[in-house]
Order: sequence, then structure tokens, then C-alpha cells
Amino acid sequence: MRRITPCCRIALTLLVIAAGLRTARADEVQATANLIDRHIEARWKIDGVVPAELSDDAEFFRRINLHIGGVIPTVWEVRSFVADPTPDKRRQAVEHLLSGPRYIAHFTSTWRKVMLPETETDPNLRALAPEFEGWLRQRLIDNTSYDRMVRELLTAPLSRSNAMTMGNTGREATPAGFFAAKEMKPENLAAGSARTFLGVRIDCAQCHDHPFDAWKRRQFWGYAAFFAGIVPARAGSDDIPVQQSVEVFDRRELAIPDDINQRVVQATFLNGDQPEWKPRTSSRQTLADWITARDNPYFARATVNRLWAHFFGLGLVDPVDDLSPANIPSHPELLDELGREFARHDFDLQFLIRAIVNSRTYQLTSRRTHDSQDEPSRFARMAVQGLTAESVYRSLQRATGAAPPDVADRSVVLFAPQGEDQQFRELFANVTDRPIDRQTSILQALLIMNGPQTDVRQLRILEAILAFPDLTAAEQIETLFLSTVSRLPAAAESARLVQAVEAQASPDERRKVLGDILWALLNSSEFLFNH
Amino acid sequence: MPANSPHAPFTPAWSVPLSRRRWLQVTGGLSAAAGASWLPQLAACAQQTGVRPRSCILLWMSGGPSHIDLFDLKPEHENGGEFKPIDTAAPGVQICEHLPKLAEQARRLAIIRSMSTKEGDHARATHVMRTGYLPQGPIQYPALGSLLSKELISADCELPGYVSISPFIGLAPAAFGPGFLGPQYAPLIVGSSGPGQSDAALRVQNVESHPGTDAPQVDRRLSLLQGFEADFAAARPGLMVDSHRSAYASAVRMMRSEGIKAFDLDDEPAELRDRYGRNTFGQGCLLARRLVERGVPFVEVSFSGTEGALGWDTHQQNFPTLKTLCGTLDPAWATLMDDLGQRGLLDSTLVVWMGEFGRTPSINNNAGRDHFPAAWSTVLGGGGIRGGQALGKTSADGMTVAERPVTTADLLATVVQAVGLDPTKQNMSNVGRPIRLADPAARPIEEVLA
Repeated sequence: MRRITPCCRIALTLLVIAAGLRTARADEVQATANLIDRHIEARWKIDGVVPAELSDDAEFFRRINLHIGGVIPTVWEVRSFVADPTPDKRRQAVEHLLSGPRYIAHFTSTWRKVMLPETETDPNLRALAPEFEGWLRQRLIDNTSYDRMVRELLTAPLSRSNAMTMGNTGREATPAGFFAAKEMKPENLAAGSARTFLGVRIDCAQCHDHPFDAWKRRQFWGYAAFFAGIVPARAGSDDIPVQQSVEVFDRRELAIPDDINQRVVQATFLNGDQPEWKPRTSSRQTLADWITARDNPYFARATVNRLWAHFFGLGLVDPVDDLSPANIPSHPELLDELGREFARHDFDLQFLIRAIVNSRTYQLTSRRTHDSQDEPSRFARMAVQGLTAESVYRSLQRATGAAPPDVADRSVVLFAPQGEDQQFRELFANVTDRPIDRQTSILQALLIMNGPQTDVRQLRILEAILAFPDLTAAEQIETLFLSTVSRLPAAAESARLVQAVEAQASPDERRKVLGDILWALLNSSEFLFNH
Repeated sequence: MPANSPHAPFTPAWSVPLSRRRWLQVTGGLSAAAGASWLPQLAACAQQTGVRPRSCILLWMSGGPSHIDLFDLKPEHENGGEFKPIDTAAPGVQICEHLPKLAEQARRLAIIRSMSTKEGDHARATHVMRTGYLPQGPIQYPALGSLLSKELISADCELPGYVSISPFIGLAPAAFGPGFLGPQYAPLIVGSSGPGQSDAALRVQNVESHPGTDAPQVDRRLSLLQGFEADFAAARPGLMVDSHRSAYASAVRMMRSEGIKAFDLDDEPAELRDRYGRNTFGQGCLLARRLVERGVPFVEVSFSGTEGALGWDTHQQNFPTLKTLCGTLDPAWATLMDDLGQRGLLDSTLVVWMGEFGRTPSINNNAGRDHFPAAWSTVLGGGGIRGGQALGKTSADGMTVAERPVTTADLLATVVQAVGLDPTKQNMSNVGRPIRLADPAARPIEEVLA
């Protein structure tokens, strides 16, 4: 009856191949993770570093949930992970996170901030974010290779009549916001694309030859000339530029502004090469192909460095977007080799994430056991890192039971004009690219201490714990710890807190003390940071 | 924690506002010695020097005020427009007829009529005037308020060093932030000047504990938190946990301080509140005085207009709009000078009035004036300033600076020097390059410095 049709046979064959590929990939992930560890350990030997120990399961689990999913795990998830006897469970947890909605939500927001940083700092440009995120989300769901994403972005059609209103209508998912955020100006697009995708800062060469760096003014404007065809139209000097842009596809030269010699430069790559122009290929396309080429010395390394900084809180090159020759990486060979591996694996972002988080280096504890671990660029213990505004908000929601888990899984509604997360966005906006030196402000402290999100009289998690029949004080405290700092309390901690609860005579007083413990946990460094 | 950490003085400090008795109760006396010895030391220090630390109040005019109608009138020229000049308390110095109260304060003011800057775009000009630098590349330049308050704040000030009242930050948010100095130097923002905001909002958000929590309970919570922090810091020492503890210490200190009462404007006599003007800017100026009185070194009051967010941006109907704006500006600013003077605060308080640029001398077809950075005015007054003068000149038509051009950097260096600081002092930036308080090319305006 059941004949295998040729069609099915092909499908089956493909399945077998796919399964084989997955195993092959798992091996290659491990090989790349080992490569990371080899380089990091080699430097430890030279520097006489005594590295920290491996993290315990709860520490690792909270960490990857925040780094990959952008939100702390639920009580149940922590319990199951800690209790799971599978030897391979860390790797499986990473796979689970990468295939779920939290990864998509968190990295959509992460990449939007990288590619469209203006949406974080300029309220007028926030309207560009939804459609940009719409585009990113779909690419991340498809796990589109990074080089293709960047090519799509750099060659996005700009035929709209009014780019500033696109965001409001949310009509279409498109990365065109990149161009609107740069005001459609060739110089801004040049500076922005070089910095974001190549880790090359040519901005200063816009006005003058840079005294330290290799970039010359002529080079800057030669690079900017790839965007020369975009003709921005301004409605008036006063308003936000309204993009009624026209693109002249074959314009590939620019006059250097205010140049005493009135030079006009032809579109030229940053390395000085002249492009080979092909018919029907726009100058933006030509540039995009050069930027994302496997042998571009910057593209893969810049991306590897960004993801490294995402997970370790500090890039191999720091600042994260400055790969200039004068700025030497902490581990140059590692950066080169990881860049090569990333390119060799078709710029697969998930591959790179897997390799990083499966390394032993990433899985070290953040507990300090030796003073040689204090220099963050040695990566000898996991750095304590600040969270994004979204992560703080979503984690507070999850810890306190303020939102059902499926809502917490999705990104917060970022662009509601007066959403309750507004304060979080304002007060926790990133001011530094280095999560390892994010500082707490007074207004942040006031918000977490006294804001509605920590008003324990109204928190469901406390209701649930009190309503659950026959929980001992120890079990109640255990649940509060799992819900907030995603670990079990240490024995001494538990004893101290149980005593404080049990010393209270009335149920009301006990409830009050439990509320105080919850409040203190929500305000703690351990809750508010990733570590 | 490194010894030179900026947080060192605060480390165990949420204990400080507690009474010694309660502090002992809460902590079991563990670090009581440190807590108890801390405050008297500071008090002694302040008494010893006897010098009141300097403060600065910046009156920020969003949109670019029309200097030619306010401080550099040209009654002889067709560009002059319809406003008439009036004499002031300073011989030979004339200003706009719609600033009569301010005219009485002119001995305390130095008008700079020869500002010459380059930026005519709101966002870029705002960034330049408020940070001293163009937004350029990766360096996150701090706002003037962050720079000065970092240098001027004294350890016994219970309030943050930089308070920003009703700012309209939308156009150039970075110009209102601490930049590479970090959030510790971020402004405490009260009120916001979006359309429809009233002076009711001039309070600190989230400064009250949750309803129903009494003082002992708050102490218990903080003591629990202190326990968690101590454990975390022992295992994972570093900047992050230090910064967290320091911010909480400052926040708790502010919540419990007498200083927080600065925001209760109802404590002031109704008559004085009326004199400042019952509007956001007027009450903001009053709040500025109350904050300076309590040791806050930098307060800015933004005046973004009575209706829109960029009220000074008078491209149309320049004259009636300005008249309305002057009706708010004049009593608020004049009363501020007077009030500071009466309370003996004026010698130690520099008052700066400026926007991002001036406006075109020529009047456009909509009876308005457009953006004009080439030749315009700012005003300095109070502490550190030799008042009663107008410095520099513009040409008869107002189009160019005729005498004594002053750049943005010159002006900011003057401000820095007027509050007793060295403009060449450096801060390390986020890109590892040291940045001076004011641009190295700047020359402070000696003529206006007292």
C-alpha cells in the first residue's frame, strides 16, 4: 500500500543529510568552542592567571537565559534544569533557547540597537524601529546568514515618498530605516556603515586627515561616494528631514565639501581598490558585496567581536566598534581565527553563539577566587554585566508574576508612547557599549525601590506563595530565590531568613517579612545584573 | 574595589541618614564606627573653610531666542523691528522694553553681544552649546551640568549634583546626559516641558516608599538588601556592585534628607511664588534657588516656551510671541537674581542665560526671524561675573560681529572659570582619550570675570 514515492524519497534523503549535517555541525561547534578555550588558556599561562572554576548549573542557566533570551528563567525552568541528570544538558538548554521565541525577541532588539542606534537616543527616530524590527525578526526566525542580512540592509529599496511616516503605519518590514536614521546623507551613511559593519571608524576623516589613523579625508569621501546617488530632500531647515529621496543609480562621485582644491572623488573602497562596475548593479550593491565578502579583513572580525562583547561584556577589541590597527585586540589570533570560522560557516550567527556559549571560558563562574582574575580582558572569570532596559523590565515582570510567561517571552511593547515600561527605557538606556561598566543611577535605584513593579502588596508571586497550601517558611523562601535570582538559597542564607520569618507571631507579620525579602531580592545586584 | 573609585566615600552609607541609635539597631553595630564618624567630619570640614561652594544656574532657552529683540537692539536700523530699547540700572546698557524688571538687575549682568558660532541646526547647536563639542564619532561628551557638578559637589550634599528642570531633551538627548562620565553624573530630571505640562510636576519621581511601609519596615528591607549586597560584593567585587551600592546609598540619603524638601514649593510665601510667576519656568527658577540653597552645584531651568516645545523658535510672528515669552522670562529671571541676592547666594551662584543660537537680523516674510549663529547674544550674571556691562558689538545691521568675537568654547571656558574651576582640567573619555572641561583652544573672557 504504502509506496515510497520519488518525492518522498528525496525528502527522506534530505532528512538524513540534514541530520548528518546537524551532527557535523555539533562537532564543529565544539571544535570552535575548544579553539576559544585554547587561545584564552594560552594567554592565562603567559600572564600567570589562575582562572575561576566552572559555573554551577543554576549560574550557567540564568546567564544563558539572559544572554540569549533576554529574560530570567521561570521557577519551574530552573528547578527542572538543576534536577536534570543529562550530562549534555547545558548544550541542550542552549539549543532550546535558540529555537524559541525569547531568542528572537531579544536578538531582534539587540541587532536593532546595533544597526539603528539612533532609535535608542533620538525619540524622533523611534518610529523607525517597528518596521526595522519586523524585518530583523523574520531574518532571525529564518536564521538568515549575517552577510545576507547586511546586503539586504545596504541595498534596501528607498522608493518611499516619506520614510518618516513608514514606521507609524507599520505597513511593511524593511531595513530602510537605516537610511532614514542617517538622514540619507552619504557622509552619515559612510560613517555609520563602516562603523557598524566593519568596526572601522572613519568619521574623523570626514573633516580632516586623521593624525593617528590610516584614514584620509579623500578616502572617507571616496567611500561616501557609494551613496552619492541618494539625493535627500529637505522640507525645511527646521523640521526633521523628510525623505523624499530620489536615487540616481549611476552617480558614483562626490565633491568633497569645503575642499580648498575642490576635489571630486570617485567611489573607492576603503582599501583603495577601485570597484569593478557591473551592468545593472547599483553602487550600493557593489559596496554591499565588498563589505560582506569573505575575504574582507574587517567584516567577520567586527561581527565576531560584537557577539563576543554581547556574551562577555567586553569585546576582544574594545571599544567594540574600533578595529583600527592602533587598537590591538586582547587576543588577536583568536579574533582572526573566530572570524575565519564564522565566514567558513556562512556567517551563521547561531553557529557563532553556540561556539561561544559552549566554550569553557564562557561557562566559568563569576565568583572571584584569585586576584589575577580582576583584569576583565583576561576572561578568567565571567564578568558581572549590566542588563538592557528591556531585560530589567521583563525580568521584573517574570520574577513578580506580573505578566503571564507567554507575554514575557515576547519583546516588551517598545514604542507605546506612555507605556509603563517608558520609565525603564528612559532610566536604563545604555550609555556605554561596555556592559561591564554600566553604572547604576539614583533614579534607577528610586524606580526599583519605590516604583509600582516592586510594590510587594500587589505582587502575584507573593500571593501564590502564601496561597499554596502547607509550604514551610524554608520552601517559601526557596521559591522567592528561584523566582528572582534563579538559584536555591545557600544553607546559611536560608537559615537566617527562615528564622526572621518564623520569629513573627502573626501570619500578617510573616507575610510582611516575606514581602521584605522579596523586595530586597528584586533590588539586589544579583537580580539586576547578569553574572 | 580600586582605591581611587569615585564611590569610596559612600560605601556603607545608607546608614548615614539613620539616627545613630537606629543604625545600631539595624546593623547590630557592625560598621557603626564608620557610619558615625563620617558626618561630623564633613560638617567640620565645611565649617573650617567657611567658603560657600560655587553653584551655577543655567537658564536654557530652547529654540534660539531672538537676541536682537532682547539684548542687542538696533532701533536705528530696519532690521531692528518694533521693540524699543530701555535704559537699565547699568549706565549705558540698554535692553528690550519688555524686560523692565530685568533692567533693574543689570548691575548684576554681563551681556555678551558678540557670540559667533557655527551651528544653525537645533540639534547640533544644542549639542555644541551644552557640551562644548559637536556630536562627533564615538565620544559621548557630557553636558556642562555633568562636568561642573562632578567638580563642584561637596560630599555632604544630600541631593544629586545636577538637577535639570523641565528639559525638552528630544532634539539632542545626548546634550542633556552625563556622556562618558557615567550615570552617576546624570541629571536628576524633574518635570518635562512637553506641551500641556504644568508646574505640578516639579517633583522627583519615585521618591516615596510604597504606601503602607513604615520607617522600621524600610530599615528592615534595606538591612536585608545590605546583606545580599555584602554577599554579592564579597564573591564578585568590582565596579558594578560598587556603583549599585553607591546609587542606593545616595537615593536613600536623598529620600530621607531634609534636602528633598527643596521640591515642596508650597513652603514658600505665596507672594514670592507670584513674583516668580505661576508657570513652569517661574516656579522652576524658584526651585533652582531652593536647590542651590541646599548645596546643589548645578541646576538648569529650561524655558521652552509657553505653548510649544520650541517657543523661542520664532520663525513666524516674532514680535507678539516674544512679548508673551518676555512676560514669563522677565519676572522669573529678575526675581531669581533678586532672591539670590537677598539670601546672600548671588556671590557664589553664577547665572547663565543662553539658547542654542540667535535669530536672523532680517525679518522674514512671516514677520519672523530664522536661525542665526553668526552674531548673537548670551548673558552671564551673579557669582564670578563683573556685572553692569555689555561686551562686544555687532555691526549696525546686526549681520556680523564687529568687536570682540566670542566662540562657544570661549563662553564655556568663562563659565568654568567663573565657578572657580580650571578649564584645562581633564576627564578620561569613553574612547580612552582625555577631554578637557573646555576646549583647549578656548580663551576665557577676562573682561567679564570678576
